[in-house]
Amino acid sequence: MKKSILYIVSLIFVLSIQQGFSQDDNISPERKKAIDSLALEKVRDLSTYISIIGNKETPFSEANRVMDRAEELFVEDAEIGVSSLSREEINNYKVREYFNRLIQLSYDRVTIRWYNIHYISDLERQPDGRYVGVVTVYQRFEGVSDDGLNYRDTTKKDITIYVEKKKTQIRGRIVEFWDVLLGDIRVTETTT
Amino acid sequence: MIRNLIFILAITFSFTATAQMIGDLDDVEKFRAETKQVNQFFRRFNGEENEDGKRFYPGDRDYRNSSLRKSFVRMLFDHENQGLDRQLAREFMSEVIDRSNPAYLDFHQDNWFAQVNATFLYEGQEKQAILFLKVEQEKLGYKWVISRIFFEPFLNYFIKDTTYNKKFLHPMSHELDFMNLKKAFSDQDSVEQYVDKGFRPDYLTLFLYEIRKKRLSFLSVKNVKFHFFQIDNWYFEVSDFNRPGMNTGWLISNLVKYKPEDKKMLKDFIFYEY
Repeated sequence: MKKSILYIVSLIFVLSIQQGFSQDDNISPERKKAIDSLALEKVRDLSTYISIIGNKETPFSEANRVMDRAEELFVEDAEIGVSSLSREEINNYKVREYFNRLIQLSYDRVTIRWYNIHYISDLERQPDGRYVGVVTVYQRFEGVSDDGLNYRDTTKKDITIYVEKKKTQIRGRIVEFWDVLLGDIRVTETTT
Repeated sequence: MIRNLIFILAITFSFTATAQMIGDLDDVEKFRAETKQVNQFFRRFNGEENEDGKRFYPGDRDYRNSSLRKSFVRMLFDHENQGLDRQLAREFMSEVIDRSNPAYLDFHQDNWFAQVNATFLYEGQEKQAILFLKVEQEKLGYKWVISRIFFEPFLNYFIKDTTYNKKFLHPMSHELDFMNLKKAFSDQDSVEQYVDKGFRPDYLTLFLYEIRKKRLSFLSVKNVKFHFFQIDNWYFEVSDFNRPGMNTGWLISNLVKYKPEDKKMLKDFIFYEY
């Protein structure tokens, strides 16, 4: 019951395509396209959630609720590794910790925008049978404080996606479907 | 369910207000041209996607199309690297795109591996380690495994004086139940003189031992590059270039044409075993 309508719509989309799939666990190009759509849907959900969390006009209680929803997109123990052009080391944060840092940014106005481009890798199978891939998206962040302090950066986000075949019961019938969860994210500051 | 609907409506409203897409043409073109993932390097090299990243599969008209590959492979070189021999690069391109005998890269095959430069904490100090990883098949799929390590702090322990061994166990030691081992092991600085001339230290074993003993701990990855030996008699290195312009992302940063008898030497050089 916790799933969003967007997610349910995507799921139904994959389920409807699933009916035409063979029963083996290989991913055909058609199935890959459906999974890509679902993965992108999740990434867009995350993008939306990040924008809401980063928006200074979002009330704290709502931001917390959105953080809960955003966390549901991820597998357990997912981390976000952040690097910038000015320093060599990478800072790793748990997903919730990353969101909390976003909400605590000291800018009065924050704008987070996403470039109209993405790249989705092939899906590779892991030893445990799950599939893993990477979706790359680009984000522009701009923070302005009342005293005129202005910070902006463009980051590349490489987002791990895990794809797993699951089963659910719909009106007494067992239906198999492919689910997508997000994993570790590597955030790299880029030069434009 | 109603609560969920309200939440979704709120999210949708917020989305229109804050999560705008940027259509900044210059930036989008840059990101489009960038070889964004190593996966994309493989697909571009093999001609398995179009300029927009749309995947081609066997049976598709343009799958591994040689004209497409020609334009892709050219842009997969680091154009700002003056050390890359242009003539050699042209020779490489014509060989891999040769219509009668094209050469492709294969993620699942051997003869390519990753080099990860990482920072570790060892004896209270930050030290660089170089990890070599390869893709290995297991059960239902594949995984990356660490195959070798180079760690400079270990190196000093195994520098052997190759002029001649000043110290040795004389050839009749066995008659005295090797009682002279006591002398061999008493001087820690010369103990390596008593080992087999073919001995090669296994840094990976030492490394794992130090980690298990909690004397060594991981801090972070500094950078990553890849070494390819999948094209016969050619070696190339792929590195990530994060810089302005259109020639960015994962690109060929080094190219060598080698004779078969030199392959081992080249690999030894990469593995710091020269």
